[in-house]
Amino acid sequence: MSLEKEILSFLVQPRPERFEELAIRLFEVQRKKNRPYDLYCRALGVSISSWKEIPGLPQQAFKHSEVRSFPANETRFEFRTSGTTGEGYGRHFLPSLELYKEAVLRGWDHAGLPNYPIGLLMPNPRQNPHSSLAQMGGFLSEIRGHQYFWQDAGRLELESLRNFISTQKRPVVLFGTALAFLNILETSAGSSISLPAGSLLIETGGFKGSNRTIEKSVLYRDLSNYFAIATERIWNEYGMTELSSQFYSSDVDHPHVGPPWARVVVIDPTTNREALPGQAGMIRIIDLANVWSVLAVQTQDLAWNGSGGEFRLIGRDPDRLPRGCSRAVDEVLQTSR
Amino acid sequence: MKLQERVQALVESARTFPWLGEITPHVLNDWVTRELGVEFVTSSWAQHGDRFRQLIPYSPILHIVSGETPHAALQSLMRGILVGAENWIKLPSTDLVEIRSFVESLPKEFQPRLSQQLSSDWLERAAAVVVFGSDRTIHEFASRVRPWQRFIPHGHKISFAMVLGEWTKAEISGAIRDGSAFNQLGCLSPQFFLVRERANQFAEQLAAQLESSAPIQLPLEAAVAVRAFRENWRFRTANNPAAKLWESRHNSLDWTVLFDPAETIPDHPLNRTFVVKPFTASLEPCIDLLRKHISTIGIHPLVPEAIDLAIRFGAQRICSVGRMQEPALDWHHDGFPSLGSLVRVIDLEK
Repeated sequence: MSLEKEILSFLVQPRPERFEELAIRLFEVQRKKNRPYDLYCRALGVSISSWKEIPGLPQQAFKHSEVRSFPANETRFEFRTSGTTGEGYGRHFLPSLELYKEAVLRGWDHAGLPNYPIGLLMPNPRQNPHSSLAQMGGFLSEIRGHQYFWQDAGRLELESLRNFISTQKRPVVLFGTALAFLNILETSAGSSISLPAGSLLIETGGFKGSNRTIEKSVLYRDLSNYFAIATERIWNEYGMTELSSQFYSSDVDHPHVGPPWARVVVIDPTTNREALPGQAGMIRIIDLANVWSVLAVQTQDLAWNGSGGEFRLIGRDPDRLPRGCSRAVDEVLQTSR
Repeated sequence: MKLQERVQALVESARTFPWLGEITPHVLNDWVTRELGVEFVTSSWAQHGDRFRQLIPYSPILHIVSGETPHAALQSLMRGILVGAENWIKLPSTDLVEIRSFVESLPKEFQPRLSQQLSSDWLERAAAVVVFGSDRTIHEFASRVRPWQRFIPHGHKISFAMVLGEWTKAEISGAIRDGSAFNQLGCLSPQFFLVRERANQFAEQLAAQLESSAPIQLPLEAAVAVRAFRENWRFRTANNPAAKLWESRHNSLDWTVLFDPAETIPDHPLNRTFVVKPFTASLEPCIDLLRKHISTIGIHPLVPEAIDLAIRFGAQRICSVGRMQEPALDWHHDGFPSLGSLVRVIDLEK
């Protein structure tokens, strides 16, 4: 059986004791097939004995290089990051969506999320074929009643959303970008609409590049008031274009949990090694479903190192880098372009 | 309160802040006399042509200071005291221990009022408002000050250095001084070095000299930024041998040097990160985009060709490499006269 098939069967029937073996085999295969990653590993001088030591490819590498562990001419899908940081966008190439789809759907189930009808505050895959989030929404909508509330110009169809919610007798899931939910709150000030009892709301994506900030606790409080839903029924999906699997958390400060095929190592930035328990650091994700690029991706997102594979996201706001009175060059170049 | 009492108070309080530079009665009196003239020192009318002139401080002065730049905050307060104004300081929410400690050492009559909350009363009553901060902060206060209030904004700036001639170890040491002071968090800190001759070797020698640098402790966000910069460039240099990365060893983030020949200027995590680029004409369009935001350009050698180029690139201050972090007390921060912008000039025509 090919490694891809072995990993696919791990997604269907996870056996945690096999994670390490599969991760190390996938790492070795990817080093052989993915020259940019291999050169990075050589520059680091790594030799690994555990999945935790697999070097995470910096997320920015997806902007500067074609990160593929399969022949380029077999590329059929290309997901792109939003390019909001000014360095252009990162690209994630895939020859097939089979693993991605399995990771999305089984990851959803694994998080205990229900198969209620779903309202999607995001583009559909036809509107944005390069968005991994749109593709994820597409997979979720295939297997349950669904409705999109996103117009081509990026505006939300608020009236349709109101109608959708008010006609539902049973619980629903509203899944969309944090920005979309913020737009609803801002454009519907003073009004509210009650979701059917037992409904869920899932936000994702943060506010990167939008010049807008809002504390998570404030966003959840306002969403809770607007949709008449308890904050523990509001979830965050933590995922990224460069990965295939997702992590979920509910309420304002619950930890994120991933599926059995994706694990997190919190990295101490000073040593570039695993942080001590309880220490904060950078999130490195080891995602077995990321067969077609690299399984280990190093993010700049901050988290507290928890136990049992959980992590408490602190987030990442480039404005939080103490800069004194020095201006960031890239910020100027970005706005000048 | 007489000028000499204010001078003496500042000299006494500045003793425990050596990083403020040489603060002596002679230095302060010389500064005041040069910038405001004898008439300010003697509080009298001075004749200028067929007119007479007297200078009166804007008072009170409201200083809105930033949490990461105690040096700038103290300089602003010193200027306010020196011109004889009453001073109010809006401290950042993170506080500024340096300001508190300086203020406590001042005689009561010169102590400014401090607050972490900005009352609308302060903003309405201030005769002059000095603001340090981001574009957003500056913009916010610019929209709130009244036309009759003197407004002195100090926004965030970019500084860099140009080494346009042959260089020696002295310039390497100077570059390290410039790029190490205040952990590179100041508006005078060079974010990149453009080197015309042997740029790769300049970077290599920077790295060699930085080996003996003292360790630094970085807050988490800064450490993450430096680590991300290093790993991003480790990937890029591994895939492009034309670029090269040097870094402090032993699990530390003490310093980083990047040689990057590309025709762009990379993102910068500060904190002793030295980006060296070969100086070529093709970089000029990129530098031109930074023009409105430039503070200091350090140059070597300090010759007319380099000075002209620095002016063309938007420099508000030009100095030798190695002196970028040592502006004179009376330097024109962001082009403003340091004391002159805090006084009202009255003309008397007889």
